[in-house]
Order: sequence, then structure tokens, then C-alpha cells
Amino acid sequence: MKFVFTEDQLQFQDTMRGFLSQECTPDSIRSGWVDKQPLNQQRWNAIAELGVLGANLSEEDGGLGVDQVALALMVEEMGYVALPEPIAEQSFLINDVLHLFPDQIQDAIRAEFNEGKEYIAVSHPQNPHPVFLSEAKGLIMIDETSCHFVKPSDVSSELIKSNDPSRVLSRILGVKNTISSDDNFQQLNQEINSRGTLLTASLLLGLSQKMLDLSSAYVLDRNQFGKPIGSFQAVKHMLADIAVAIEFARPAVYRASYSLLETNPKSALHCAHAKYMAVKAAELACKNSIQAHGAMGYTWEMDLHIYMRKSWSLMACWGNDDYQQNIIFNTLRSSDDELGVLYTF
Amino acid sequence: MQILKMKISFTEEQNTFRQEIRSWLVANLPKEKLKSLDTKEGFEQHREWEKTLNSGNWSMVTWPKEYGGRGLNLIEWLIFEEEYYRVEAPTRVNQNGVFLLGPTLMEFGTDDQKNKFLNAMASGDHIWAQGWSEPGAGSDMAAIRTTAVLEDGFFVINGQKTWSSRAAYADYTFGLFRTDLESERHHGLSFILAPLDLPGITVRPIPQLDGEPGFAEIYFDDVRVPVENMIGGEGDGWKIAMATAGFERGLMLRSPARFQQTAAKLLSLYLENESQCSPAIQAKIVEAWAKSESYALSIYHTASKMMSGASIGSESSLGKIFWSELDYMMHETALKILGASAELDEEQHQNAAQWIKGFMFSYAGPIYAGTNEIQKNIIAERLLGLPR
Ligand SMILES: Cc1cc2nc3c(=O)[nH]c(=O)nc-3n(C[C@H](O)[C@H](O)[C@H](O)COP(=O)(O)OP(=O)(O)OC[C@H]3O[C@@H](n4cnc5c(N)ncnc54)[C@H](O)[C@@H]3O)c2cc1C
Repeated sequence: MKFVFTEDQLQFQDTMRGFLSQECTPDSIRSGWVDKQPLNQQRWNAIAELGVLGANLSEEDGGLGVDQVALALMVEEMGYVALPEPIAEQSFLINDVLHLFPDQIQDAIRAEFNEGKEYIAVSHPQNPHPVFLSEAKGLIMIDETSCHFVKPSDVSSELIKSNDPSRVLSRILGVKNTISSDDNFQQLNQEINSRGTLLTASLLLGLSQKMLDLSSAYVLDRNQFGKPIGSFQAVKHMLADIAVAIEFARPAVYRASYSLLETNPKSALHCAHAKYMAVKAAELACKNSIQAHGAMGYTWEMDLHIYMRKSWSLMACWGNDDYQQNIIFNTLRSSDDELGVLYTF
Repeated sequence: MQILKMKISFTEEQNTFRQEIRSWLVANLPKEKLKSLDTKEGFEQHREWEKTLNSGNWSMVTWPKEYGGRGLNLIEWLIFEEEYYRVEAPTRVNQNGVFLLGPTLMEFGTDDQKNKFLNAMASGDHIWAQGWSEPGAGSDMAAIRTTAVLEDGFFVINGQKTWSSRAAYADYTFGLFRTDLESERHHGLSFILAPLDLPGITVRPIPQLDGEPGFAEIYFDDVRVPVENMIGGEGDGWKIAMATAGFERGLMLRSPARFQQTAAKLLSLYLENESQCSPAIQAKIVEAWAKSESYALSIYHTASKMMSGASIGSESSLGKIFWSELDYMMHETALKILGASAELDEEQHQNAAQWIKGFMFSYAGPIYAGTNEIQKNIIAERLLGLPR
């Protein structure tokens, strides 16, 4: 038992943080909104050049072979800056399950995605509206009984607006010329679901931390009654509550990542747990952060909502906490193993 | 640089160690449930149990062998705790000693003090009570007024401590006393150990919510305590007490096992009564499992970090809030499941009586070891950098 990160894992996180703090500022996100081009091609290319897009592909597939735990740390950083590019919940997701697809679909993905440097979108019952479909080189549509790969030119779709201007969504109306397979996809579907769940949980951790940091800075700066509002206990306690919620969501996310890495038979439960805790933390972070900002938090001008909007979306897609609650409940209820202390590791 | 490989599972040796504890507990657990440790008879039964634990070198596995421990690490201690709670072994009557004073002595005590107190603590010969709170010093511990004046090698102590858990029957108390009468707030306090049978001490037990004297007032009237009983130097008391309080809030006082076991019991209670429960209860069952699981993961994460050289500070306040709120929530949920049976006593409904006892005690969690409001202040000021 050694629940600590390796130097390598922390190094990946640091690199990501350093890079994103420069490349993904609130201003750059806002200008993407104004131009109606939230996906920033230049940033995407810069990230690709770092090798990040294929980070978790095996070295044979042209990637860096980054493990799921380091990935979770990197993704947390993507959440922290509300990165609009769907690298975590789409690129990393597909990379991670690539080897599990039926051969002909694997070949089709490999032919299009240029060692992870191009983008493949996913449509799944928990993520029905893929983001940035127009930028994708392919679309995977999967549920429990079918799996299709289709080229963008063969997809008919319409754009739908998200409450988060950083997310451009599509509704799929029809597809043709699909490469399909009608096997039983319960397993693959589950693996994709777990990863979508976990990657959005990691993003939410970063987002929650960002909202807490913004709020801590704001309440130090803003004065009322002749002193910083951060000296009032009611305000302190709201922020302390966020800190507690984040603290106990974190290890759940890290453990779930490790479970995927080790193909732990309980990984689906662990991913559900991670998202459940991360959603609770993010909900509180949104609620208490806006309260700590007063009316300022309720404006378009203040940056806080960049992170709130992304959080609201990510809480809802790839299974919200209610969905995860059902998974957890059904798993515990039908467990043949002894619950309690022996069930954790 | 240290090469670390992450591993979130137990090693072979750790599993073997678990089996060893398990077999020992099966062979040695009291055949009958002990009486409450807040009765005279129950207290002595629990002291006997501490002796039995010590005979197997299980008092405190992390202590060095010379003091009755096994020289093991924090992970092994957590495994011990898991097995301990799994079989519902008796409450540790000496937890103030082994979990709080023990680590304090290990860090700040002289060799003589360690020799004098640690073995006797491990064996249950000395059962310890904590003496911080006073009538005028609760959350504001720096308002302590009980004085200890040095006179020919003795501290002469006058004043009053209160809410001292286990003090009704304990042998010793440790706490903070004002040794510099001119001093104010957290200056001029010293950390002193006092036998409770000295002339001039009066212990007045206080019945708690369950009617039993779980804590007590301690009156000091010219009580003479030898100067060798001071830990650290004169005026170092606050610093040392903060370390003890850190142990209390942090890992030691509440290992995750008790909450994981409570969450599991809550699920079985639910399954026995499922047909009468609304979906709202399901949500609570999941919350109980998810939070106790998170707490366990967090403590393993912290223990691993500490074993790699990190130390914990104000972070322990996060955990204290988390487990105490969780414990309350789980017991409240149990009572909802029990419905009208919730109020029944042991003779009518064994299970309900246990839950309601636990429920009452869970109200104390957000109060003792520093109230949760105080913990939130600490988090805001020391972790988030907000002004005092
Ligand atoms: C079961 C139990 C066992 C205990 N065992 C021991 C023991 O063994 N030894 C020992 O020394 N003590 C013990 N205590 C006492 C415990 O440490 C104190 O109760 C605690 O520190 C709070 O002090 P108080 O009771 O005087 O409450 P007060 O300090 O009077 O607080 C009352 C309320 O006011 C709030 N409050 C006070 N100050 C502030 C502030 N600055 N900001 C925000 N809110 C504030 C508190 O959070 C609380 O809600 C025990 C208590 C209990 C319930």
C-alpha cells in the first residue's frame, strides 16, 4: 500500500499546469465565445505538439504511454482552466479504449486519427450530444448492442446550443456508410461509460478548485463594513465547506483511476463513486462561490461563470450524481462480498 | 531522490499481518459483551481488556517494541483498526493515552518520562483523561486559568478542569496549566501530567446524554505535582498541545474503520426493512457508503504521504468536520429506518437501542476535539489564507 504519486505522475501534472496557465486564460476563452469559435485551433495544435493528445496511447500507437493516474492529474489541470477543447472526455477516452474495439472499427479509427493527433467524437447514451463534431475526423456511436464508426461526411446532424458557450453540441439525425458491428457491447460500453464518468469527475475536481481559489481571492479583495468580507465567519465557513468537499472527492478520483490502471473488477463502482463525490463538491463550489461573490458573481462580466457553466454541463453528462447513485446502490445491494472495511481495497 | 511506485492495495505481508490479528482477536475477544465503560465495573472490564491486548502486543502497533508496541507503520495500524472494528471489539478505554498522549510523549518527552509512562499506558495500568477545557475555556482554549506555580520542585495546582472524558474513573490526566501567572492567552502555559488520586483533587462525574458519567469536572486545590511531570519546557504547553490536538483531529482518534462498518451496518438495516423505506433512504445509504469510502481513501492517502516524509497540519481540520458530519448523518438515517421502534430500549429492541445510543453520541462529534465551527475558521484562515 503506497497511495502516493510517482515523480513522473506529478511531472506530467506540473507540465500541464504550466502550459495551460499560459495558453488557456479566461480572456482567450471569452474571445472564443465572441468569435463563435470556442475550440481554439492554435491552442489545439500547441497541445498536439506537446504530444498531449496521444498521452495515454501506448508507445506502439505513437503515444506517450501515460498511465490513468497521471492522466487524472493532467485532466484536473484541464478542468482548472475550463479548457474548451474536448481533450479529456473525448481524445483521452478513445485512446484509452482503442484496443477494445472490434478489429475493423479499430482499423478505421487508426486510419483517421493520426496517432491521436486528430479528434474522434463519441456518442453514447450518457453523452448523446457529441461536442465539436464539425472538427472531428470520425464519430463513434456506441450502446450496449451496437457499435458504429462513421466519417463526418456521412453524418447528418444539427448544431444545438449548450448553456456553456464553450461547448458546441450536435444532435445526430442520421448516418450512412457506417462500419458496424452487432456484437454484445456490454463490456466495451461499460468501459467507455466508466472512463467518461471518471474523466468528467477529474475535470470537476479542477473546476471546483478553481472556483474556490477565485472565491478566496475575491473575498480578500472586496471590503464591506470597513474590512474584507473574507474576515466574516459566514463567508469563511461557506468556503471552508467547499474545501472539505474537494478534499474528500480527490482521493476517490485518484483511486478510481488506479482501479482502471489495474483493471480492478470494481472499477465501474469506483468510477461511479469518483463522479458522485466530484459532483457533490462541484455543486457546493458553484453554490457557495456565487454567494461569496454577491451580485458580482451573478454577472456575465465576472469570470466565475466560465467555470460554473462548464461544471453544470459536466455534472450532467456522462452520468450525474443521481445516475451514479443508482449504480452504487445496485452494486452494493447485490454484492456477495462482505461490505465494510474489507470492501474498500 | 526516493523512487516511489504507487500501489493502492495490500502487500502479501500486510495480508498475513491482517490474518494474524484476526486469529488473535477470535481467540481472545471477551466471550460476553463488556458493561459500559462509563460504569465502575465496565471501566475495570475495559482495563482488563487493555491488559489482554497488551499481552499480545496489540496496544499500539506503531510504538517501538521497548514500549510495548511492534514498531509497525501507519498502514499496519489502519489494518489493525479494520480488524478491530470488524469484530466489534471493545471501545479503547485508554484512547486518550495510547492515541493522543502516547504520540506526544514520543515526540516531546524525555527518556525518563517515556520509560515511566508509556509501558504503563500500553498495559492499561494508567488510564488517561484529557484536561484542556475549563468552565471559561472551551473553544477559546487560550483562556485557561487553572494555575500551576513552581515551589521546591513541585507545581502547586489550583483551579478547575471540565468535560474530561473518562476522568470519572481514570488514573491520570494530562493538560495545559498556566505556569506564568503574568502571562496571557497561549503564552505561559505548560503541559503537565497529574495523577488523579493526589490529595487536593476532587473529581465530580457528569452524566452525559445517555445518563452515564462519560466525563467529569476535576477540581484542583493546592495539588502538588512533581516538576518531572512537565512535558517540554515551561511555557511550551501551547505548542505541544497543538500537536496533541493534531493527532486527535487527524489520523488517530477516528480511524476510518468505524465509519465503514457503520455504513455497512446501515445497509443491512435498510435491507431488513426495505419494504417500508422510501427512495430518500436509498440516497442516504449511498451517501453513507460513498463518504465512508472517501474518508478511508483519504486517510490511506495521508498515511502514505506521512510515511514518505510529509507531515499534516491544518488539513486535519478537514477530516474532523467530514467524519463527524458523516457519523451524525448515518445514525440519523438508521433511526428513520427503524421508524417507531427507534425509541425502544435494549429489552424491547436490541438493535434500536444501539443505534440510538450511537445517534446521541454522534451529536458530540461536531463538538469535541474542537467544534466544527472552530475547524472551519482554521481551514479558512490557515488553508485558504483569509484574514482572522
Ligand atoms: C463528549 C465530549 C467529550 C469531551 N471530552 C473532553 C475531554 O476529554 N477533555 C477536554 O478538555 N474537553 C473535552 N470536551 C470538551 C470540548 O473540547 C469542548 O466542548 C469544545 O472545545 C467546545 O467548548 P464549549 O463546550 O465550551 O463550547 P463553546 O466554546 O461555548 O461553544 C459553543 C458554541 O459556540 C461556537 N463558537 C464558540 N466560539 C466560536 C468562534 N470563535 N467562532 C464560531 N463559533 C464559535 C461553538 O462552535 C459552539 O457551537 C468534550 C466534549 C464533549 C461533548
